[in-house]
Amino acid sequence: MTGQKKIATVFILMLFLITTVLSACSKSESTNGNEAAGGAASSADGNAGKETITLRLTVWGAPEEVEPYKNVIQKFEAEHTNIKVELQHIAADYDTKLTTMVAGNDVPDIAMMESGSIAYPLAEQGKFYNLQDFLATDSDMNESSLVPNITYSLEPGNVIGIAPGPETFALFYNEDVFKELGIEPPPSKASEAWSWDQFVEVAKQLTLDKNGKNATEDGFDPKNIKQYGLNLPTWWGSYSNFIYSNGGDFVSQDGQSFALNQPEAVEALQKMADLINVHHVSPSPVQAKNIPSTNVALQTKKVAMAIDGQWASSALAQSNFNFNIGVLPVMKQPMTTVVCAMFSIFKSSKHPEEAWELVKALIEPEASIDMLKAGTWMPAARDWYTDEALLAKWTEGLASRPSGYKDAVIDVLLNHSHQTPTGYVKNFNKIMDVVNPALDKVWLGKESAQEAMDSIAAKAQEQVKGRRDIAN
Amino acid sequence: MRKGLFYGLLFTSPAIIGFIIFTLGPMIASMVLSFTDYSVFKDQTSFIGFDNYKTLFSGEDEFFYKSLGVTFYFVALRVPAVILLSFFIALLLNMNVKGRAIFRTIIYLPSIVPAVASAMIWMWLLNPDLGLVNSVLRWFHLPESDWLYSEQSVIPSVVLTTLWGIGGTVIIFLAGLSGIPRQYYEAIEVDGGGWYSKLRHITIPMVSPTIFFNTIMTIIGSIQVFNEAYILTQGGPNNKSLFYVFYLWRTGFRDTEMGYASALAWVLFIIILFFTFIVFRTSKSWVYYEGEGRT
Repeated sequence: MTGQKKIATVFILMLFLITTVLSACSKSESTNGNEAAGGAASSADGNAGKETITLRLTVWGAPEEVEPYKNVIQKFEAEHTNIKVELQHIAADYDTKLTTMVAGNDVPDIAMMESGSIAYPLAEQGKFYNLQDFLATDSDMNESSLVPNITYSLEPGNVIGIAPGPETFALFYNEDVFKELGIEPPPSKASEAWSWDQFVEVAKQLTLDKNGKNATEDGFDPKNIKQYGLNLPTWWGSYSNFIYSNGGDFVSQDGQSFALNQPEAVEALQKMADLINVHHVSPSPVQAKNIPSTNVALQTKKVAMAIDGQWASSALAQSNFNFNIGVLPVMKQPMTTVVCAMFSIFKSSKHPEEAWELVKALIEPEASIDMLKAGTWMPAARDWYTDEALLAKWTEGLASRPSGYKDAVIDVLLNHSHQTPTGYVKNFNKIMDVVNPALDKVWLGKESAQEAMDSIAAKAQEQVKGRRDIAN
Repeated sequence: MRKGLFYGLLFTSPAIIGFIIFTLGPMIASMVLSFTDYSVFKDQTSFIGFDNYKTLFSGEDEFFYKSLGVTFYFVALRVPAVILLSFFIALLLNMNVKGRAIFRTIIYLPSIVPAVASAMIWMWLLNPDLGLVNSVLRWFHLPESDWLYSEQSVIPSVVLTTLWGIGGTVIIFLAGLSGIPRQYYEAIEVDGGGWYSKLRHITIPMVSPTIFFNTIMTIIGSIQVFNEAYILTQGGPNNKSLFYVFYLWRTGFRDTEMGYASALAWVLFIIILFFTFIVFRTSKSWVYYEGEGRT
């Protein structure tokens, strides 16, 4: 009898335990990554006496990318002793986590956002402050102090996010390969950029089969390629460069119709597909599975040139070989697409002024100088490009910034850049859900770009909902 | 008697409470949500009746039927493959050979490898140019395949990768096999029957409840396939591996259309219920329980 009672007591205790654990689940706030909570809160400067407030900030990224944020926060907290910043580093499944936080009304003040995923769905529901209001009145940071294409707007005049820096596309190459074959390397100045035909010709000479024959010679064996002239990824970021260069777009100027089936876009897509299936100078999506990341691919001479984002500079700088950067080939005009993340301030924040100050601090290039030098990031502030002294800080004498960098990346960004389609095409993901499967067939050479785009044009048109950069 | 009930409930309460909080509650919630236009980010949510279901079945949402087709194809390939292969392996492992424990461990081992790790391994093995599988085929001058990267071979390839993890099913078969009394086989031997008669008249009927159980579990597991699409293929190429649950996830978490995703989830629930019901109905004619005559 007593034995039975004992067991019953144990089980009741277990029940209590379970309920306690469950209730703890519902209100746990993870604060991992917040090391900046110093003991300096009791200092006595001008801010003393003000109520201490807490700002929550969520970011993603590799540990070395989060490090600069921690430094910024430490400095920021030292300058604003009444503000405590809680940094939440969400390393994986960021969007899912943030969606859940929104659903649970447990929203940060500032969040790093991605234009291609949940930023716009949130903005459409009025979840973000209009940063235009801050930009318009702020003396330190405004639209002219930033480089082009790094703010995201829901509609003209409603800025929902500002990027900590731009990222553009360029042509990376292994200098030694060009030397060995006696071929002139890609130009770095936009004014001297290769035309598409020149580009194809060079890429052919750089493509070698296992017998050492290049793609221009008779008897070239496209089934056994040892060195590809080029690696050209087939995601939208990559092909958007050439669609824009050719004067095309994803949707029409008025935002009313699907435009990837229009002649300019189709020509760009077809020319890209021809690199794979006609000229055999670039790996197909299937073969591309064997191509390692850009730094390794170039170093091992698996490819001679690679079109990639400037973020590749960081890994390239750490690889021990002579790489350089050229300007992208031109179809009609030089162009690069700017892709970047952004910082947004949630409407639910009780301290928008302070949050804005923190956003400014996060974007300030000096704070992330290590990432700029490493090659991963580029600064957001325009004077870091135009002021020689500031420019030198992150471009001079660094392995990550070879001789072609200033012309091929910086000059092109300032003068020939285009906003990412995710920033102005409404309903972008749904349109691409229809487009991508059709493009799979184009890259594999089973359909022409015109056929593929025409076959889905009607379905894609149903998903076209307008543009964000024009008043509708 | 009452006291027995009390303790019974008490001892099962962790499971019951867990079920109510983590399964039943969310299920009811998603049922309700499936009749709304709930999107996490919207401030107001309104009831829209059967509109979500109408959109699904009317063909307006082409991905719905596409993902259903892909998933059924996968189930049709995977279920027989899993059942036949794991039954065969269980038969082998049930034989009295040297090192039986080691063989059993080897077969079960992949089941404890995390799904992501195993998917990554297969991604390398099935790499068209450098992968081990194609390299071996090339060595023997056999035709190679693009495996996960071509429209025709993607589903069979995914089935292949999942066959690696059938250890759990094998274990259940083994348990069933080891429960068969020796005397039955001896009786057959006395009557002069061979291995086929043993298999046909003793083994299969005796483990038919296990086959039945494994079939249902495999059907359910196969309909809910997700990891492979998420990790290996992202639904491609050309939507040929757009599995239903992957599409559901994309709708709910990428497009944040939770109401619509809930409707998708309930349709899936009904489909699974339907298949389970079918298998149950047919089971009367082929599943034997001890002490029961054939009906």
